[in-house]
Amino acid sequence: MISLVIIAVIAALAFAAINFSMVKKKSPGNELMQEIAGYIKDGADSFLIHEYKIIARIVVLIVVLLAVVVSWQSAAAFVMGTVMSATAGWVGMRMATLANVRVSNEAHVTRSLGSTLKVAFQGGSVMGLSVGGFALFGLLFIYVIFGKLMGQVNPDQLVIHTNWLGINDIPFTMTVSGYALGCSIIAMFNRVGGGIYTKAADMGADLVGKTEAGIPEDDPRNPATIADNVGDNVGDVAGLGSDLLESYVGSLIASIILSAYMAYTAIKSGNPINPELISAMIQFPLFFAAVGLLSSIVGIFILIVKKVSDKPHRELNITTWVSAGLTLASGAVVTWLLFKDLDVSEVGFTIGTFSPWLAAVLGIVSGIVIGQLAEYYTSYHFKPTLKISESSREGTALTITQGLSVGMNSVFLPVLVLAVATIGANALAGLYGVAMAAIGMLSFVAATVSVDTYGPIADNAGGISEMAKLDGEVRDITDELDSVGNTTAAIGKGFAIGSAAFAALSLFASYLYAQGGVEIGKDFKLVLNMIDTMTLAGALVGGALPWLFSGILIEAVAKAARAMVQEVRRQFKEIPGILTGKTKPDYRQCISISSAGALKEMKFPALISVLMPIVSGFLFGPRFVGGLLIGTTLSAIMLALFTANSGGAWDNAKKYVETGHHGGKGSNAHKAAVVGDTVGDPLKDTVGPSLDILIKIMATVSLIAVSIFSKFNLMVLFGG
Amino acid sequence: MSIYYYLTLYPMEAMIASQLEPAAFGAYMALGNRKGSAEKLIFIEVKEEKIGEAFDLDYARQRCVEHSDGRRKNSVYLSVYRALEAVPTEAMGLLWLITRDGRALALEQGDYSDPEPWAGNALYQELCPAHPLVVSALNPKHFSKYIVEDSTKVTMPAIFFADLAMPNLEDDDFTGNVGGYFDKILEHLKACIMDLKAGKGKMSKIVDRSSTATFNYQVIGRGLYVGAADGKLVFYPMPSREILKKKHYDWAKSTQIF
Repeated sequence: MISLVIIAVIAALAFAAINFSMVKKKSPGNELMQEIAGYIKDGADSFLIHEYKIIARIVVLIVVLLAVVVSWQSAAAFVMGTVMSATAGWVGMRMATLANVRVSNEAHVTRSLGSTLKVAFQGGSVMGLSVGGFALFGLLFIYVIFGKLMGQVNPDQLVIHTNWLGINDIPFTMTVSGYALGCSIIAMFNRVGGGIYTKAADMGADLVGKTEAGIPEDDPRNPATIADNVGDNVGDVAGLGSDLLESYVGSLIASIILSAYMAYTAIKSGNPINPELISAMIQFPLFFAAVGLLSSIVGIFILIVKKVSDKPHRELNITTWVSAGLTLASGAVVTWLLFKDLDVSEVGFTIGTFSPWLAAVLGIVSGIVIGQLAEYYTSYHFKPTLKISESSREGTALTITQGLSVGMNSVFLPVLVLAVATIGANALAGLYGVAMAAIGMLSFVAATVSVDTYGPIADNAGGISEMAKLDGEVRDITDELDSVGNTTAAIGKGFAIGSAAFAALSLFASYLYAQGGVEIGKDFKLVLNMIDTMTLAGALVGGALPWLFSGILIEAVAKAARAMVQEVRRQFKEIPGILTGKTKPDYRQCISISSAGALKEMKFPALISVLMPIVSGFLFGPRFVGGLLIGTTLSAIMLALFTANSGGAWDNAKKYVETGHHGGKGSNAHKAAVVGDTVGDPLKDTVGPSLDILIKIMATVSLIAVSIFSKFNLMVLFGG
Repeated sequence: MSIYYYLTLYPMEAMIASQLEPAAFGAYMALGNRKGSAEKLIFIEVKEEKIGEAFDLDYARQRCVEHSDGRRKNSVYLSVYRALEAVPTEAMGLLWLITRDGRALALEQGDYSDPEPWAGNALYQELCPAHPLVVSALNPKHFSKYIVEDSTKVTMPAIFFADLAMPNLEDDDFTGNVGGYFDKILEHLKACIMDLKAGKGKMSKIVDRSSTATFNYQVIGRGLYVGAADGKLVFYPMPSREILKKKHYDWAKSTQIF
C-alpha cells in the first residue's frame, strides 16, 4: 500500500507544477501592473532569501548537535524537514507573487468574478498542494530509507537503544522527531519573521498614509504600500504554508511516535502487541494522509475545471466539502483494509476496526465546529462582532473593551469542543485516537491551504489593481474575493489551533513515555503528577511563557512599525512630489526597513521556543519540563484563540462600519474601529499563528532532549 | 505663461491668481509644498475676460510671474474677503473639489430642476461666506433666493452651498458612508426637522452654526449651488456613484465614498 503514498505525492507535486505553469502562462497585464508586481516579487524573494540565510546558520548548529547527541539519522531527517518546509514556502510564495498580477489582469479583462476566482484559487492551490506533497514526500522518504531500508521500523528496532553518550531513545521516533523539528524551525521563523514583516508594513502604511496624509489603502503614493503587499506574501502565504505544513507533519509524527512507545511499553510490561498491528498503526497515518491528499486533489481539480459561479464562498466550500467527504470515505476503506484482520482491542480500539477512523472523523467534525465558532465570533453577520461595531460609536476605549470581551468569550466554546473531542477520541482509540483526531483535522490540508492562500493572492491583486489605476469594477471583484478570503482564513486558523492541541497532547504522551526510558515496565503509568512541586513549578512557568512570547512579538511588531512610520513621514516631508504623483516614493527603502526589522526581531522569540525546554530541562529536569509543556499548551491554546478571534472580530467590525453603518468611512465610529483593527492586527496575524507552532516546537524539542536532560541536570547533580 | 484665476470658497473665501493649472493648483493648496498639510479645498475657475473690475488684475499680472529658478508662481492673493459676491456668474467655469490628499474632481455647470420627489425639507451646508448647516422647507432655488434677497434680516449678497443627502434618521445603524458629519448632530437634526414640520412659520432652521470642520464630499446630495446677487442660480450637479466608480474612482476613493 506504500505505492498509494507514492502516487499521492507524485500526483500532488505534479498537479502543483501544472497549476504553476498554467497560472504563469496567463497574461500579467500592462507595463505598470508588471512593474508593481515586480517590486512585490523582488521584495518577497529578497526577504525569504535573507531569512533562509539566517535560518541556515541555526540549522547547521542544530544538525551538528543532533548528529553528535542523538543520531545522524535524526540530523539528516531534520535537514529533510527544513528543506521540505522551506521549499513548500518558497514555491507557494513564488506562485503567489506571480499569480497576484495575473488575477488582477483576469478581473480587468473578463470582469468576471468566477473566472478571477479560478485564477486566484489555482495560484493558491500551488501552496496547498506543495504543503501536502512536500510534507508527505519527506515523511515517505524517511519511512522508506530509515524505516524500511535501514530497518528502524522493524519490530526489533522499535525498542529503546542507548547511544554512545548513554542516552536512551527509540531510533525511529528520534528520526521522525528530527523531521518534525526541521519543519517546525522553518515554520517558526517564517511565521514570526513574516508576521512581524507584514504587520510592520501594514501598520506603517495605514498610520501615516491613511490617517495622517488621508490617502486611501493601496495608493501608489504611499511609500509603504508595496512593503504591505510584500508582507501579504511573506506572512500570509509563506508563513501560513510552512505553519500548516508543520502542523500536518506534527500530527502525523505524533501518532507514529506514540505507536512506537506503546509497542515498547507493552513489550516491557510482558504483554507485547502484535507487531503487525504496530506496523499498521505506524503506517496508518501515512495512508490516511495519502488518501486525504488525493481527495484534496479531486476537490481542487473540480473547482479549477468546473463552470464557476459568481458566489466565491460557495465555490470554495464545495472544494472543502468534496475533499473532506472523499477523505472520510476513502479513509474508511484504508482503515478497513489495514486493520480488518487484526485484533485491535489489544491497543484499546474500543469499537473495532473503525475506531481510529472514527477518531479522525471526530477530529474533522471538531475542526469544522471550531471553524464555525471562529466565524461566529469574527464575522459581522453575527452578534459578537456587531456589538464591537456598535461600541465604536462610543469611541476607541469601548471598541477595545468590547473586542477584548468578544475575544475572551470566544475561547470557551472551542476549548469545550476540544475537550469533548479529546475525551471522545480517547474513548474510541486511546491516545492513538487523539493523535488520529489531529490527523483527521488536517488530512485534507492541501485543500484548506489552497483556500487559505487564495485570500492573500486576491488581496494583492486588489492592491495591484489600485496601484495600476484599474477601474472600480475591477477593484470590486478583487475586494469581494478578498473579503471571502478573510472568512476562510479565520476558519483555517481554527483548524491549525485545534490540531495543535491534539498533536501536542499526543507528543506530550510520547514525552512521558520517553521520560520513563528503559525502566518502563509493568508498573508504568502514563501519569503527570500535578502536585509534584517540580511539575507544578514547570506548569506555572509554562503558563506564563506564551504571554512572554506574545509580548516580545508584539513589541517587535511595534518597533518595526515605528521605524516604518518614521520612514514614511520622512519621505512625505523630504520628497514633496510624492503626494502630487510627480515623484515615485522610495518603495525599496520601506521594503528594506520592514525586512531588516523582521529579520532582526524574529530571532529571539524563535529561539525561546527551542531553548526554553532544553535550558529548563538541564536546570530542573524532566518533571519540570513535563509541567512546562502542559502549562504552555494550555495557556497557548487559550491565547491563540483569544488573539485570533479578537483580532478577526476587530477587523470585521471595522469592515462592517465601512459598508455604511454607524456613519461609515470617515466617521468617529470608523476612526475608533480603525484603532481596534490596528490593535488586533499583530494579535491575529503575528501572535496567534505563532503560538500553535510554539506548542509543537517545544513538545518536539522536549521529546528529543528528554532522554538527555533526564540523565544530565542540576537536580541530579545535587541529588534532587 | 498663462495666469489662472481661482475663486476659493472652502475652507476660505479668496480670489487667487496662479500660474498652476487647476488640478495642480488644487493639489498645491491641499498639500502645500513642504508644510505637509492635508486639507480639502473647493474653488471655481474664473474666466479672466469676464471677471470684471472688482479685482486688481494688473497687480496679478505683475506679481504672478515665474520664480528666478523657473518654478511657476503658485499663488497671488487678490482678495481674501467678499470675493464670491464680486464674481459675476458668467465668469464662473468649472467647480473643483479637491480631496485632503490632493485629488481633483471637476464639476461642470448643469441645468437646474427642482428636486423630485420633494420630501418637504432639505439639508443645506452653507459653505461661503457663512458656514451654518441648515434644514429648510425650501428647495435649493427658493432657498438661494431667500438668502440673497434682502427681504429678510438674514441675508447675504451671494451664497455658495451644497445640498446634502439626508441620513436615514430612523436607523442609527444603517447610515451609509456619511463620515463624521452627523456624528454629534443627529438628535438635534431630528428635532429641527420636527420643528419645521410643526409649521410655525419658519422656512429654515439652523442645525449647527459651523459644521465645516467635519464637512466631507461623501454627504453631498444632488450637487452644489452658487446663488448670486442678481438672483441667478448656478448649479453644479454631483456625478452619480456609477459615474464616479467608472470615471473618477481615484477621487471617490480618496473621499471615502468607496
